[in-house]
Amino acid sequence: MGSHDRETDGTPRGTFDAVVGPHLNAAFNYARWLTRNDADAEDVVQDAAIRAFRYFGSLRSDNPRAWLLTIVRHTWYARASQHAARPRLVEYEEMTHEQADDRPDPEALALQRQTADRVRKAVELLPDDFREVIVLRELEGMSYKEIADVAGIPMGTVMSRLSRARERLLAMLGPTPLAGEAR
Amino acid sequence: MTCNEAAGMIDPYIDGELDAADATHVAAHLETCAACRRRLDEREGLRQLLRGLPHYDAPPRVRVAVGDVATSIYVRRRVQTWMAAAATVVLVAGSALGVRLRQTANATSTIAEAVVARHVEALAGPQLIDVPSSDQHTVKPWFQGRVDFSPPVPDLAAHGFTLVGGRVDHIAGQPVSALVYKRRLHVIHVFVWPASNGARETDERTVRGFHEQHWTTRDLSVWAVSDVNEDDMKMFANVFASGS
Repeated sequence: MGSHDRETDGTPRGTFDAVVGPHLNAAFNYARWLTRNDADAEDVVQDAAIRAFRYFGSLRSDNPRAWLLTIVRHTWYARASQHAARPRLVEYEEMTHEQADDRPDPEALALQRQTADRVRKAVELLPDDFREVIVLRELEGMSYKEIADVAGIPMGTVMSRLSRARERLLAMLGPTPLAGEAR
Repeated sequence: MTCNEAAGMIDPYIDGELDAADATHVAAHLETCAACRRRLDEREGLRQLLRGLPHYDAPPRVRVAVGDVATSIYVRRRVQTWMAAAATVVLVAGSALGVRLRQTANATSTIAEAVVARHVEALAGPQLIDVPSSDQHTVKPWFQGRVDFSPPVPDLAAHGFTLVGGRVDHIAGQPVSALVYKRRLHVIHVFVWPASNGARETDERTVRGFHEQHWTTRDLSVWAVSDVNEDDMKMFANVFASGS
């Protein structure tokens, strides 16, 4: 593969490049935060690209980024289910590990000297469903509506998950030094 | 607005998701409530920190892989479309020839389809031949100055194939010489053009009921197509190739 013809105008192939290309970074970023490692993220994005090409006809042209990220999410979820490492769901986390999870992992966090590393680690420690709304909101700058579309949840749920995710991050990172650093 | 109401709106407030009326109410409440103000400050501080999160961009190899994936699906789908459109596509299977065919199947399918398409269009069109002649020594020189190669124009009358004439045509965007022979009432088209970079391919197939014979002679690519029966088509290809 690699040297096939590449038509650029008016063909599905060219249109696919034009539509998907600009959002490949967003797709990879999202996949990378969902999987938390490069190798899995690459696999997910590649599989998602296949699906995206197959279902190109289902693209609602008004928001190709949300469409592509939705496919990334489905791909990731399907893979995670397949590999028996099911995505960690909020409900599960909250029913059984609420207390434990709200405390920062002292060993993991104490080792992180750099603020940026501490923040990244904190976000990675969030349950999947919290982590994704933070990433889509803070890194991709998506609206509640877009996040709702990508994650397949109502806008009210987007709002409450964001709120709870932020509470957790504040609890993990400690509110006092943060406010001081940020101001 | 109570503290409880305001607290529930802090997140959509800093995310710019409140409508104007609610945003005004929250702003007014924040003026007077230190607890909610602190809640807001914490979140804005957090947002500052989250701005430092890495945005993982797609590595170049992922871009390449995605492009390859899309291209291969695209090519495969296009071939499938042709195959659905064609009544039959017969690939010569087995032998070394079969292996070579598979490698070039995509490109060859395109041409095979284009050749049949030109054959059908030309028969329906107004001008089948620009140089009407059964004399190979009239037809062959006619191409000089019209195409930049010299196509073989064998006299096959002794085998029951009558030369009718020729014209310049285009297939896949490149100029080709088109020769027209007849077998009884059947028209046989022979399209000739320079073979690409030394390719030596042989192919025979049936597309929408038309039989095609393809071979390379010296550095020229030859495609013969007709609605004559398969045996006649093979015979034509044999005598044409040996006579040129």
